[in-house]
Amino acid sequence: MKKKVLIVLISFFLISFSVKGKKEDLEFKNYHTPKDINKIMKDIAGSNKKISKLYEIAESAGGNKVYIIEIGPEVGKIKKTFPAIFVASNFSGINMLSSEASVFLMKDLIEKPEHRKDKTWYILPEGNPDAAWNFFKKPLLKDSRNMKPFNDDKDDRTDEDGFEDLNGDGLISKMRLKHPEGEYIPVEGEKRLMKKADPVKGEKGVYKIYTEGLDNDGDGKFNEDGKGGVDISRNFPHLFKFFTKTGGYWSGSESEVYNLFKFIFSHKEIAMTITLGETNFCMIPPRGGRKGQVDYTKIKIPKRMGKFLNVDVEKSYSMKEIMEIVKKIVPQGFEVSESMVASFLGLGAVVNPLKNDLKFYKEISEEYKKYLKKVKHEKKRLDPPKAKDGSFELWSYYHLGLPTFTMDFWTLPKIENKKKLSDITPEKLEKMTKEEFLAMGKDKINSFLKSSGAPENIKADFIINAVKSGQMTPKKIAGFLKKMPEKKDSKGGKPEERSLLSFSDKNLGGKGFTDWKKFEHPTLGNVEIGGAVPYAAIVPPPEMIKELLNKQVPFIFELTKKISEIKIKSIKIKNLGAGLYEVKVWIENRGYLPYPTEMGKKNGMVSPVVVTLSGKGIKFIEGRKRSLIKNIGGLGTKMVKWLVFSKYPVKAQIKSETKMASRDIRSVVLGGEK
Amino acid sequence: MKKTLLIFFVLLFSFSGIRSSEYSIDKVQVPLTFDNYYTYEMTIAALEKLNKAYPYLTKLEVVGKSEEGRNIYAMIVSNPKTGNELDKPGIYVDGNIHGNEIQATEVTLYLLNYLLTNYEKNNEIKNLVDKKSFYIIPIVNVDGRYHFFKDANTSSSNRGLRRPKDDDNDGLVDEDFPDDLDGDGNICLMRKEDPFGNFKTDPEDPRLMIRTKPGEKGEWTLLGSEGIDNDGDGKVNEDSEGYVDPNRNWGFDWAPKYVQSGSGDYPFSGVGLKSISEFIMKKPNICMTWLFHNSGGMFLRGPSTKSQGEYPKGDVQVYDYLGNQAERIVPNYRYLIGWKDLYTTYGDFGEWMTMLWGTYNFVGELYTHDPEAFQTIGERKKRAKLKENEDSKAMFRGNIEKDRERLKFDDNLNQGKFFKEWKHYKHPVYGDIEIGGWVKMSTRVTPPFLLKDLVHRNASAVLFSAKHTPEISIKISNPKKIGKNLYRIRTALVNSKAMPTMSYHAKYKKLYTEDFLKVSGKGIKVIAGGLLQDKYRDKVIYKEYRPEIQFFTIPGFSKIDFQFLISGKGKVIFKYKSRHGGKIVKTIDLK
Repeated sequence: MKKKVLIVLISFFLISFSVKGKKEDLEFKNYHTPKDINKIMKDIAGSNKKISKLYEIAESAGGNKVYIIEIGPEVGKIKKTFPAIFVASNFSGINMLSSEASVFLMKDLIEKPEHRKDKTWYILPEGNPDAAWNFFKKPLLKDSRNMKPFNDDKDDRTDEDGFEDLNGDGLISKMRLKHPEGEYIPVEGEKRLMKKADPVKGEKGVYKIYTEGLDNDGDGKFNEDGKGGVDISRNFPHLFKFFTKTGGYWSGSESEVYNLFKFIFSHKEIAMTITLGETNFCMIPPRGGRKGQVDYTKIKIPKRMGKFLNVDVEKSYSMKEIMEIVKKIVPQGFEVSESMVASFLGLGAVVNPLKNDLKFYKEISEEYKKYLKKVKHEKKRLDPPKAKDGSFELWSYYHLGLPTFTMDFWTLPKIENKKKLSDITPEKLEKMTKEEFLAMGKDKINSFLKSSGAPENIKADFIINAVKSGQMTPKKIAGFLKKMPEKKDSKGGKPEERSLLSFSDKNLGGKGFTDWKKFEHPTLGNVEIGGAVPYAAIVPPPEMIKELLNKQVPFIFELTKKISEIKIKSIKIKNLGAGLYEVKVWIENRGYLPYPTEMGKKNGMVSPVVVTLSGKGIKFIEGRKRSLIKNIGGLGTKMVKWLVFSKYPVKAQIKSETKMASRDIRSVVLGGEK
Repeated sequence: MKKTLLIFFVLLFSFSGIRSSEYSIDKVQVPLTFDNYYTYEMTIAALEKLNKAYPYLTKLEVVGKSEEGRNIYAMIVSNPKTGNELDKPGIYVDGNIHGNEIQATEVTLYLLNYLLTNYEKNNEIKNLVDKKSFYIIPIVNVDGRYHFFKDANTSSSNRGLRRPKDDDNDGLVDEDFPDDLDGDGNICLMRKEDPFGNFKTDPEDPRLMIRTKPGEKGEWTLLGSEGIDNDGDGKVNEDSEGYVDPNRNWGFDWAPKYVQSGSGDYPFSGVGLKSISEFIMKKPNICMTWLFHNSGGMFLRGPSTKSQGEYPKGDVQVYDYLGNQAERIVPNYRYLIGWKDLYTTYGDFGEWMTMLWGTYNFVGELYTHDPEAFQTIGERKKRAKLKENEDSKAMFRGNIEKDRERLKFDDNLNQGKFFKEWKHYKHPVYGDIEIGGWVKMSTRVTPPFLLKDLVHRNASAVLFSAKHTPEISIKISNPKKIGKNLYRIRTALVNSKAMPTMSYHAKYKKLYTEDFLKVSGKGIKVIAGGLLQDKYRDKVIYKEYRPEIQFFTIPGFSKIDFQFLISGKGKVIFKYKSRHGGKIVKTIDLK
């Protein structure tokens, strides 16, 4: 009986039912299946033909169609004059809320013309439909891989040993078995959680942990080769990892990814990408600190190249210096570019976000915090994960050079720390005078040190003496303590696990975690089945969807306001006499974001601003008809100058154009031999 | 109207045909001849004729279409009577991935012609054709070959894919090709008289120029390749056919264009390349690959980047065995390592094969200028004394001595056909200039009279490696009764060739399933089974689960033994299966 209730509860919690033939509801009371979402897109495109269009870009290995919807003022036009935003959700296939966010955004865009009057939107709500289906299937299994057959264990069969829901609770959980080789023990203080025994701490392993299922192929391993091939969120080219079990053989090996390459490269009007899913660049700017990036101002030349270039290999050179050296020795008529030299020297790729780009990322993250405060969405939650190697967002920033933002919308709430031993916080400490501090006394100081996670060897006596002698001030101490990492308490399990348990107990009526229960396994014998419920830590319960999206999705519109917008600011024409005219045009970037990003400058993927002057009979004395501006900073201006000759007054046109941002045309009259 | 259009096109076509005919053969017939080059159309004709002459040994497939819609052909040579094509070790050979590197195609055509015309005459060849499968794509860059012959070119131009690409990042695409100003079918050099120029006339051969030293008076300024500034941007010929290098666009370790120019927008943006990759993935038996290019006289193996680290030791041994032999077969060619001895490449074809499909791969850089040396024996000895590093510098910088000899070689062996005398031309921008220099069929392209030697030697290097793809035999011992209902059977699997049944790289990275030996039978049960380490001391490592199936790789020139303990009666089937080692089934009876 209990079991039945559980199943009903879980199905209610996790599965959204769709009625055939009915229009999909957009109430956001439940999660939509990939099929529902495709239907919604078809409905929208079908009933809003003037402002929306559906693109079928790919079919997944599992036979699911991948659609992108275009919403905007220039539907059907191949050459666009307004910038476009590419929004994509759920490449991991497990971040279900992000697909809802895309649907929410579509609805918003259809309903509110102001957001689509001068921008094109391309929305891909389900980047990994095969994996997304797992959420709606029974038994419930969390898996980011698409349905490409893959021989995980490299034996003589493919996909032959998947998971089984042995206890029939609709979930794929964990099995624990007491075993002589067991390595795991229950966590002290929270018996539901398991951890690896640490012999150094005198702990002895008891349990072996398996995923729930049978050893179908009798090779001694459990569920090692289930259905599933490639995790789409790891199949993109930047920092793609080869030889992994889930990333695919090469980047773009999957049709979901390869066809997205094609789509994006055939839509040069895309000026910004927003990835909805796991990471949140609005909250935490893209991380740096990866090793292996070459500093272009200090390049060491390999020995074998040194001989050929005739340089001192002990010294470092800047790229400019190397270019000068190389230009002198290549055959005449052979044009050398920086990228040719970079590949010749094997300098490799940029792996960390560039400084100038980090500036706007940091600024925008401040704005995001203020925004959350304004909409009263400030509850502390676990940090979203960092972007994965081979993810779409890294590709977008590093290879496309586009302003790239990501949002995740939900993680588990952070657990409030247990009752403080002391009510003194570093913030309070900061404001204390020396005397006030010393007046607290030894005991109070000791308990305060303990509660703020100071190292154990630092005792009150030491601190009191230091403050007395003036070596330390309360402010300095507060500064140190602020920098201390939050004290990790191994008791009670890892923070994520504790957060899940607490969230499950408080908000899910305990349905986020299955207690360990005995089960008679056909080959392993007495085991216990239990553990975290799949998705409970990643996907919020459906009743939360609407509020989470209502509050957070609109920030997307704040982001898109920042897109660079290239316009003609002013024009000055000076008659130099005898038919000679000087034309000066100032081109401005009205947007907050630079055109292009620093990375876009570096990778050369963004086309320049083309400024043209045309008019009948105009002869160019200085400057060319098409003048190029390679970049304009955010809110910045650049000038183009021509000297032209025109015997008679003519109507001329000055045009500024970019492939992605915007264009502008002005008419002027110039010429005449006065 | 339609008719007149047709006539117009026929005329246009035949006109260009006449122009390039002196660079191509007159007639395609089997056996193929190798005293001149095959255009794209002639290559197809040659393949069709070979297919018609040897229908039982060949299959001709269209693997895909190029950017401009031309067919890419593959010819498969395999004898179906001696077994399924996919159950035999596969050797893949292609050429002309770079549009200008034309003689690579002739090597592949020669190999096909040689295998087929010698099948009935020569036992070694018959053996190879019966036991192996050959996959040959004579022209990878079909648009490239077509345009190299048809259009005016230098010997280095027209290398990339015909994929529209804005090379100079000016918002326009492919708007400034070189121009054949004097209409001779070649893109040569332009020079202008200039006392401040960096070059002066070579005192020994006035057709050549040498760089002036600082302070020396100049005579000439070199203006680059023949052409005009079509788009008026102040640069000449800066944006020709889309520069996507077909050998930088593959899926392994691909890098964007700021890391390496020519890589294309994303892996496999080249449509022809993508279809070739799909063709290859359907042939998992391919274990040896040869990709022919020009020039420089090199047999290159990977790794292509330093960061990848050296290949596993076992693989290096195989490469050394094949590479050293290739050096002997083709004199003056050097067996080298890509990143180390030449330069770093990302996303090349060879690494995609070795790193993801576990093949052994050589890139053959065809042709050196050694045969163009024009020396007495004494002069040759003098030259040999020059240090090697001077020679390698010469590869990039040019060497006046060598140029003088090459010109004399051309004068005396080609009757001056491949160097165009400097001639006056009135250029729209530069005014009075001269056009002249080496023509497109020179420099990187082998003079036709040397072609036969080149194709035969390089095809022979391929044949040697083909002979050393794995060759597996299996021996099964007589069952030995060791209990009332228990028999011991031993198997010996022997690889008599140099190449292991799986590359060490593939094995370490677990690219695919290893070889396996599976024992089955209706009335029997395999109770235990494992690797027999020492048959004299009966030392066996028994496999705990599924003892009836054993996974392994057989190294080159070696043997691997297994022991099975079997109960029951009846037929015992031993099935060996390997991607590169083929398939063997043997049966014994337990009575």
